[in-house]
Amino acid sequence: MIDFSRIQKELQDCERNQDSSGIRVCPKSDNLTRLTGTIPGPIGTPYEGGTFQIDITMPDGYPFEPPKMQFSTKVWHPNISSQSGAICLDILKDQWSPALTLKTALVSIQALLSAPEPKDPQDAVVAEQYMKNYQVFVSTARYWTETFAKKSSLEEKVKRLVEMGFGDAQVRSAIESSGGDENLALEKLCSA
Amino acid sequence: MISDSITNASATSAPTARDFGKKKRTNRSAKLKQSKLGLRREQWLSQVAMINKGDKEEMESNRRIGSEKPDQRDLPRPVENLDEDNNGTHRHESFIESLSNSPNSILSGMNSIPNFSSSSSSGSGGSCSGNITEEEDADDDGCLDDWEAIADALAADDEKHEKENPPESCQEHEDIKQSALIGGADVVLRDAKADSQRRKQKSNQAWRPDDKLRPQGLPNLEKQRSFPVMNLHFSSVTVVPSSCPICYEDLDLTDSNFLPCPCGFRLCLFCHKTICDGDGRCPGCRKPYERNTIKFEASVQGGGLTIRLARSSSMFCRVVCEYIRWYTNFKYIKVAISLFLIACENLAYL
Repeated sequence: MIDFSRIQKELQDCERNQDSSGIRVCPKSDNLTRLTGTIPGPIGTPYEGGTFQIDITMPDGYPFEPPKMQFSTKVWHPNISSQSGAICLDILKDQWSPALTLKTALVSIQALLSAPEPKDPQDAVVAEQYMKNYQVFVSTARYWTETFAKKSSLEEKVKRLVEMGFGDAQVRSAIESSGGDENLALEKLCSA
Repeated sequence: MISDSITNASATSAPTARDFGKKKRTNRSAKLKQSKLGLRREQWLSQVAMINKGDKEEMESNRRIGSEKPDQRDLPRPVENLDEDNNGTHRHESFIESLSNSPNSILSGMNSIPNFSSSSSSGSGGSCSGNITEEEDADDDGCLDDWEAIADALAADDEKHEKENPPESCQEHEDIKQSALIGGADVVLRDAKADSQRRKQKSNQAWRPDDKLRPQGLPNLEKQRSFPVMNLHFSSVTVVPSSCPICYEDLDLTDSNFLPCPCGFRLCLFCHKTICDGDGRCPGCRKPYERNTIKFEASVQGGGLTIRLARSSSMFCRVVCEYIRWYTNFKYIKVAISLFLIACENLAYL
């Protein structure tokens, strides 16, 4: 049985400190088993300026079992899967403690963005790039952040594609279907 | 003795009053909290049971004391002592029989009056019946006075004593026999030197019948017993959080005094039990609780030793007095039986 009173108090606590930390937690539906967490990208990292959304699923044994978290925003990070958004973080697995909260977990994920651990990777391709060609990793991570984690960039993409001569409605639908990838949207528009 | 019991009663009554006041406040909250409070009390009682595991060491020390007295056991015993030994082994039964036999003795006294023509025999019969009635009144008063204090020891020690150490009960019987052989004053003098643990065991045996008479009262007594220990812990605490960091419920007095881990992480008993049923690691330092709980028990016992000594010494005095009363009562029963036999012979003669 989930301790709903604890989750409610945690949500209130997050709302109280939202301005200072930038971390938000909102329920997805009427029940409190599915939540959406939002964290800003840490300053001084390739993820700066981005807003990353995390899907949170509360298990029945919470707070004695860790919550299940995965990125719904695509991230280029050695410890986060670029395909599924799975997070490799010990406190979300065997090192979970009932004293931790959703807020502390999100802060830990934010810290993971600042300090990757390539020796224990979740995504081998990203880890290899991080180890061998760090500059390419940084540029790729920044590109992914600007492509997927920034909301304001959507308008810029639409403008660029419209300038190429495509229709506004076509451009928006292509970007939505390609998941925000401008290049993929361009290919779809050309093939159509 | 009466003044001691009065002071003990007043000392125990004050914390119980505080407990009742706090319970009224908690009862005002929702039913869910009430159910949780019930669970917390049960868990606290289980914690108290764990603390009593330390008594095993006391048992071992008692064995050593028993082994140090071979000389007294080797002494030859006369026939009368053998009879007393048998009565000692069946002590509880004789206690019950004495209560049941008292009306018979009165009846035998009544029957003896018309049969004896001489004034001296009727006078002795009257004196016997009067003494028996006085003894009954004294026993009742003793029971009422000693009720609460002795039930404490019974509740704590009965289960473990019966299950884990049956051979030591035989040793205890032997100790009682030896004390019976010696006079009352000598018994008091010698046993003043004995250990508090020994006293607990004797008190444990003496008042088993009271368990049956008052089973429902035991949980309250346990709470009273655990209360001063909590006070000791409370004085050492500097900062006490108001709510449990895991379930976000308010911590009551029991929970705020609960310190299961040396790292100082505090939580309520309900969450502690859930964690122990799971992986058993402290949420604060992620170390297992098993070793830490042992330290917790040691600290509690260390803190509570003075209190226990005071209680056990007073209980021991009462037990000795009760035993002396029982012994004298037994003497009067013997006299009554002999008179009854004489009356039967006279009837046969007529």
